[in-house]
Amino acid sequence: MNVIRETQKKYCSRSMITAIVTGFLLIIAGQSSIGKGLILGTLFSVLNFIVMGEVLPLKVGKTRRKASFIAFGSIISRYILLAVPIIMGIKFVQFNLCSVIVGIFMVQIMILSEHIKNAFFFMRKH
Amino acid sequence: MLNDIQTWINVAAYTGGGMAMGLGAIGAAIGEGYTAAQANAAVSRNTELSGDILKSMLVGQAIAESASIFALVIAILLLFLSVSNPSLLTAAALFGGGLCMGFGAIGSGVGSGFPAGQACKGLVRQPQVAGKLTTNMLIGSAVCQTPAIFSMVVALMLIFIDFSGAPLLPTWAALIGAGLSTGLAAIGSGFGGGLAAGASCEGVARQPETVGNVTTIMLIGQAVSQTASIFGLLISFVLMFKSYPESAALTASMCLLAAGISSGFGGIGPGIGNGMAAEGAVRWVARDVENAGGLMRTMLVGQAVSQSTAIYAMVVSLCLIFVV
Repeated sequence: MNVIRETQKKYCSRSMITAIVTGFLLIIAGQSSIGKGLILGTLFSVLNFIVMGEVLPLKVGKTRRKASFIAFGSIISRYILLAVPIIMGIKFVQFNLCSVIVGIFMVQIMILSEHIKNAFFFMRKH
Repeated sequence: MLNDIQTWINVAAYTGGGMAMGLGAIGAAIGEGYTAAQANAAVSRNTELSGDILKSMLVGQAIAESASIFALVIAILLLFLSVSNPSLLTAAALFGGGLCMGFGAIGSGVGSGFPAGQACKGLVRQPQVAGKLTTNMLIGSAVCQTPAIFSMVVALMLIFIDFSGAPLLPTWAALIGAGLSTGLAAIGSGFGGGLAAGASCEGVARQPETVGNVTTIMLIGQAVSQTASIFGLLISFVLMFKSYPESAALTASMCLLAAGISSGFGGIGPGIGNGMAAEGAVRWVARDVENAGGLMRTMLVGQAVSQSTAIYAMVVSLCLIFVV
């Protein structure tokens, strides 16, 4: 399961670094609610991705009923987890709702940007 | 209690939120399940690659899940956002927003599972091109999300734009129709785009050297598949932004609701059909790259013909809005 851990480590650290650097710059520029929202959303995006990866091996080698139960529990818990920052974005003015929503997709943005960049360099090389 | 506007807003927001998440979860769950099923098949063929296959599955499922996260965002907004200018039209807009996102996430969720599943399967066939395969899968999956993004945009517009200045009758029907138009039309386009992307991953695994042609035809095929959802989006914009004279007649309201239903349901078939045409072209380009031009022409002609029913639906919608 090292491959999964490495994948998680790569995308989660990139997401957090991007969010923290961008958030820090936004806070310095006086847009603190946008910066804080981005960091908050990214934090939960990373947590979601970690839970997703950690639950994967638990499903392997189990009976169908047990695997279905684990998968269902994983989905419910991850959706509840992702709902937390959105509710915070709605309820607290310290967090900008739009930047929270962008942050929630930070892991997906990192995955896509890496591969699009690779595809672009591959096309230029050929 | 039934005359209380706030009660109606709460009813609409809670029902809309439930519809957004309930319907929105269907597609992503099926897509992720399909990916896992293909990953199982792949692991059983080559257990040594199980780590790489699980990694591919994880990354593919993370992207496939985006559609249901869009739905989650809209559902939470509907449940917790306080409305600044409460009116019965706001209630209709909130309900329309929930419907739009719920239906709109189904196709993209299912569709983006196809490339992820085929990438897991292809990894066993060609482990040395895992990078190309993953890139192809991610590009295909990301494009599949476009109809769900259209739905999210319309849902956000319905939630945040203040329609309270317009007459309640018949604008309430226009707002619910706007939600149905984009939401339903997105089902076919998301699913169809996924078919093309799945065939593309299969093609790259079969003939890695054809990756350029396969990806290009996949993207063109997916773009044409999305025309049906663009028609739905267009009708939604017309329904949302056209000004209507006040009319107590039920006919006027039903015309606007029917316009949304027409372009919404009318977009499902063409979206899937166009995706099937693209799937065929992409699959065969990988096997017969010399004939890529001919295959693309056949795909585009087939898609144009398949598209005509969406155009009929759009024409009927426009007649219902402007003529009847």
